[in-house]
Amino acid sequence: MSAIRWDVTFVVYRAKGDEASHFDTFKLSIDPDEYVLDGVEKIWAFEDRSLCFRHACHHSTCGACGMRVNGVEKLTCITLIRDVTQDGGTLKIEPLRNFPVVSDLVVDMGSLYLRMDEVHARPVVPVPEAEIEKSPKEWPPDDYEYLRLSDCIECGLCMSACPISATSPTYLGPAVLAGAQQNGLSRNPSLLEIVDAENGVWRCHSAYECTAVCPSYVDPARRIMDLRRQVVSERLKRLFNRPKPKIAAVQEANR
Amino acid sequence: MSKPHVVIIGAGFTGVATAHDLALRGCDVTVIERGDICNGTSGRTHGLLHSGGRYAVKDQESAIECIDENLILRKIVPQAIEPNGGLFIALNDSDLAYGEAFIEGCEACHIPIEQLTPAQTLKLEPNLNPQLLLAFLIPDGTFDPLRLALAFAATAKSNGARFRTFVEARRLLTDGSGNVTGVEVLDRAAGSPEELRADIVVNATGAWAGEIAKMAGGDVPVNPTPGVMVAYDQRFVQRAINRLNVPGDGDIIVPQRRMVVVGTTSFDVDNLDYVPVVDDQIQMMLERGSELVPGIRGAKMRGAFMATRPLIGGGSGRSMARTFKCYDHKETQGIDGFVTITGGKATTMRAMAETTADVVCSKLGISSPCVTREMQLLSYRQYYSTPN
Amino acid sequence: MNTSKNQPSPSRLLNWFNPRGRSLEGMAFILNRITALGLTLYLFLHLIVLGTLARGESAYDSFIELVHNPVYIFGEFLVVAAGLIHGFNGLRIFFTSLGIAVPRQKAMLYVLMAIALVASLIFGLRMFTA
Repeated sequence: MSAIRWDVTFVVYRAKGDEASHFDTFKLSIDPDEYVLDGVEKIWAFEDRSLCFRHACHHSTCGACGMRVNGVEKLTCITLIRDVTQDGGTLKIEPLRNFPVVSDLVVDMGSLYLRMDEVHARPVVPVPEAEIEKSPKEWPPDDYEYLRLSDCIECGLCMSACPISATSPTYLGPAVLAGAQQNGLSRNPSLLEIVDAENGVWRCHSAYECTAVCPSYVDPARRIMDLRRQVVSERLKRLFNRPKPKIAAVQEANR
Repeated sequence: MSKPHVVIIGAGFTGVATAHDLALRGCDVTVIERGDICNGTSGRTHGLLHSGGRYAVKDQESAIECIDENLILRKIVPQAIEPNGGLFIALNDSDLAYGEAFIEGCEACHIPIEQLTPAQTLKLEPNLNPQLLLAFLIPDGTFDPLRLALAFAATAKSNGARFRTFVEARRLLTDGSGNVTGVEVLDRAAGSPEELRADIVVNATGAWAGEIAKMAGGDVPVNPTPGVMVAYDQRFVQRAINRLNVPGDGDIIVPQRRMVVVGTTSFDVDNLDYVPVVDDQIQMMLERGSELVPGIRGAKMRGAFMATRPLIGGGSGRSMARTFKCYDHKETQGIDGFVTITGGKATTMRAMAETTADVVCSKLGISSPCVTREMQLLSYRQYYSTPN
Repeated sequence: MNTSKNQPSPSRLLNWFNPRGRSLEGMAFILNRITALGLTLYLFLHLIVLGTLARGESAYDSFIELVHNPVYIFGEFLVVAAGLIHGFNGLRIFFTSLGIAVPRQKAMLYVLMAIALVASLIFGLRMFTA
């Protein structure tokens, strides 16, 4: 740690058992180049051992430490104190929205995980298929030999930020639709019924909050729009039910 | 006849893998953890799936454990692994000299390696230091720590194990002769205390194993040794990159998703619950990492944190073996009903669990063999399919 | 478990209009809903006003006298602005919903809102100086 210290007031959401929730205030002297998660951990270690929070990897790969910091969804292990407050400032720390609260800052994200399995979101993908910014055609063919963990770390920030997810418990949600998009309807046609449905791709109202808060370059909004394109294309194909012309079949085989 | 009840303290890699093994051998398992899965050291690994090359010269017991378990994990839990292999890179004459011992060591430990010229190496990994002299290709990999653990936990849960997170062990319950009969816990989410009776209590708390063992009046030679990790915001390489030298600081670079993680260091600590990051160590990772991948110097830092390894035995830091050990406290201190497993590496988690389960089952008179080598794990997301 | 707290539910609809912590597109989302409500309200009022025609010319003429009041003109300006904002933002939603130009949606937002702003000002000037 460097020698710089800021005085930051942490106002933390607390909830235990069936009691009403409230906020506890903790004044910390903290290095501004530490992360918000470090602050929460300090509170647990030195001020209040009853604080429950979730953390694992501390480097944005597990998705466990998502919280709302001053009302905005953040992955706290990579959110610097200096980026969200100033010396003498206040940080309001709350759990993510739209998931049931287990205790304090811990929410139950089971529904997100299970939905990801429902749409067969792939945790490990060939490197060219992982990034939406670059189409697979732009990657050197050798790169298909490499597999990597997909961008989505299932942190739930997008599900918390989405206004539709706030009002509808059955809307699949940005992360899930993004996972379905990455899988692709041509690879997995059984997904069509799930995403082209009342709680699927058409329920998105283009608020783009999901992409704004995603810490992991998933760009769920863009993936949802691309999924719509896939749905329309798939439906048209089924409508006309035409057998694939020879040229298209050869192109498919060569891809 | 009802199943024997085993309480495992700690839901890191060792705890979840042991739960998985014991559930399959016919035990009724409850895992308690004061945080959530991978709350402690396990979550913070840089994610290197060791091929064992790093230990092939000085610590061959660990090296053999690593290569065997590496191959098993690739088979049973591919959902959490980037299986792209790794490279050991020589940048100077000292590295080259070490290379001789490296080749011999890997052969002795049946670790498959392939020597590459600089040109071949740079073709595979264009972002490496172009001045590299030599490289060896080895079967390293990267894993996602939380998802690896969740996969074990999901499978254990489907076989009846219970995972009680945010439940903290406060005291070990003993009978008149000092033998452990259970755990007094605090349910932190509800704020209420509880007593759990157990036939055997397994201490799988890693770096905290010494603290928990003390609760029984026991002792384990755990030497908690933290080290720094720094994550940078660009996937410079597809494979794990190791420096071809005697294991030292900052000589591992692991790609994961769109980042690379550089680690690590080795020092002592008093307070395990909060280890602040030291700026000098971050700087060291930057320097050492840039030697292997020059682009790191200009990369944006994404995160920095400390991870505390549970090393066993005398000596300190780099000289301590990375192997694991299971202590039956009846043999070591005359305390029955209490077993500690600690040491080890993430890569050897399944083997640690097998050893622990062997000890536990022999104490309980269960003769079922271990079946975890071949058993494919369930999707890690299924951990949430059954409520606790 | 505190299952009653934090759960998604239709009762949280007012939360849609909370601008705190929202990104720029999130503000556009809120604006789209407010303009939609405003335009719908205007439609009802408009139909009611047209209904006055049924009561004969003099009833309608006396209403038109009323409307020269600056307050009404400002209200009509708001309607024009709402229509422009809603329409142009709607164009962005239309294109991106079909997967067209999604990576440039933020730029589209700036451009279209600028056009809506300029057009509103032009209309406003004409309305208040006519």
